[in-house]
Amino acid sequence: MTSPARIIDRSCGPSGCEVDWLTSERHQADDDVVPFTRWATERGWGDGLPLVPPTEGRVRAFLARCGRFPDEVVAELPPLRGECTVEKIAINAVMAGADPAAMPLIIAAIEAMARPEFNLAALNATTGSVVPAVIVNGPVRDELGIPYEVSCAGGAGGGAPSIGRAIRLVMRNLAGQEAGVTSQSVFGTPGRVAGIVFGEWEEVSPWAPLAERRGVPGNAVTVYGAMGTTNICDVIADNGRSLLEFVGKGLAYHGANGALPSSAFCEVFVGFNPVWAKMIAASYPLVEDVQEVLWEAASLPVASFPAGYEAGLVLSRRHGDRVHIAQSPRDVIVTVCGGMGNLHALSMPSWGDTKSVTAGIR
Amino acid sequence: MALVLDPTLTAAADTGDSGPDVQTLACQRVGFRVDILWRSWDWVSDEWGLLARRDGAEVRFWRARGRTGDEGEAVLKELDDFVAGVDIAVVGLANCGSCTSWTIHDALRAASTGIPTVAVCTDHFKDLAGTLARRGGRSALRRHVLPYPLDTLQEAEVRDIARAHYRPFLRTLGL
Repeated sequence: MTSPARIIDRSCGPSGCEVDWLTSERHQADDDVVPFTRWATERGWGDGLPLVPPTEGRVRAFLARCGRFPDEVVAELPPLRGECTVEKIAINAVMAGADPAAMPLIIAAIEAMARPEFNLAALNATTGSVVPAVIVNGPVRDELGIPYEVSCAGGAGGGAPSIGRAIRLVMRNLAGQEAGVTSQSVFGTPGRVAGIVFGEWEEVSPWAPLAERRGVPGNAVTVYGAMGTTNICDVIADNGRSLLEFVGKGLAYHGANGALPSSAFCEVFVGFNPVWAKMIAASYPLVEDVQEVLWEAASLPVASFPAGYEAGLVLSRRHGDRVHIAQSPRDVIVTVCGGMGNLHALSMPSWGDTKSVTAGIR
Repeated sequence: MALVLDPTLTAAADTGDSGPDVQTLACQRVGFRVDILWRSWDWVSDEWGLLARRDGAEVRFWRARGRTGDEGEAVLKELDDFVAGVDIAVVGLANCGSCTSWTIHDALRAASTGIPTVAVCTDHFKDLAGTLARRGGRSALRRHVLPYPLDTLQEAEVRDIARAHYRPFLRTLGL
């Protein structure tokens, strides 16, 4: 997809062309990070953290790593719905301090978020505290320093925070997501600053990589509408069945969007540490069986809701006298990640009416 | 000093067109788009529907649902069928972030067909509704504002509000 107004000889390829592909408006600004950040923040470009000045040289370095023409339209992101080009993404990635080599991943994540089933128009406007989490598969994890072991969901450092931040700046500056104006998120979430970006520890997982199970082998991203991260702790279980049942019950709680009438659809995400994954796989070698047990357990008795709530419960997830958090077993997303200290599972409740999307990184 | 590139986009062109005025309700097919969220909007649209019938209109209702996957595609098709079957579209309720986004989306889709269309929002979300309408290219989209909070009120209170707002609602439609 390219802008129809630009008819240029592209035979030289994205990196070989000498023409001035960059069409964004230029501004005179200080090249030092501190005054630039102050100046850019006053213009509404920033998130409160230091910003790298997006000079032509820096932007070109990013473009050189993605093999795409700068005017290629990657998506039209709501609510602004303007043309989100490779050039504009690169400018925001520079400001976020991302690695130029991360451009293909950032673009893949944005393309995935723009798919209709992800429902970005709702996610970017909602009163909920949702942020699209990005789960990475393939060798690109190590190439970009994306953590998948200890503290992978935040705190491990590496390339993930700047990649997440680049995507968040794209939402701010290109999608037009602005707190209190287009976004009505009552509380927001720390993930709206530097995203939630981590990998799957494929090498120790007893099951196929998440993206591969979803039809995209190799380097890929899966985007998921996460209401932040939560933790499920257990020190009792000594077998896969008990552990899955306990974790599943921990996924379901009153007030989860999965139990709301507004959530016509709902998934749920679970990350198992490698120790637990091994124990679970001893009982359930097939990940589909793991999903089935989790789905069954991740439900609440209708009778546990206060008077007056029953009529509002989502009928499509009500089975008998229980309301399930996820639509079906296949909507329980299972990964392996985290440290060897075990004791904990990573849970990310879903915002609800959003379907996770997996896309290859090219 | 250095030259830096602008990271932002500008909003799309704005038509500034509110669409045609309603001349009469008599013999007009008035369509209410309701949702799966707000019981208060069910009560308001029910009251307005009764009053519109009294004024000679044929009243239809359509309920929007999930927006993802196959259901989302089916809902969009149903929306188009609903819009094709009415002369006036009343779309609500913009009473949260995401539901305002979809209320304005559906209202813009209806307005783009050329029929008189009004998006109904609550007071807290009127600015978001206006912003989204402008960014959708139609800042003059008709919007009727109901009090906020609305959904926490008792049914009788909401129905009283609905009846009190019926005439102002018609004025929003140009009648």
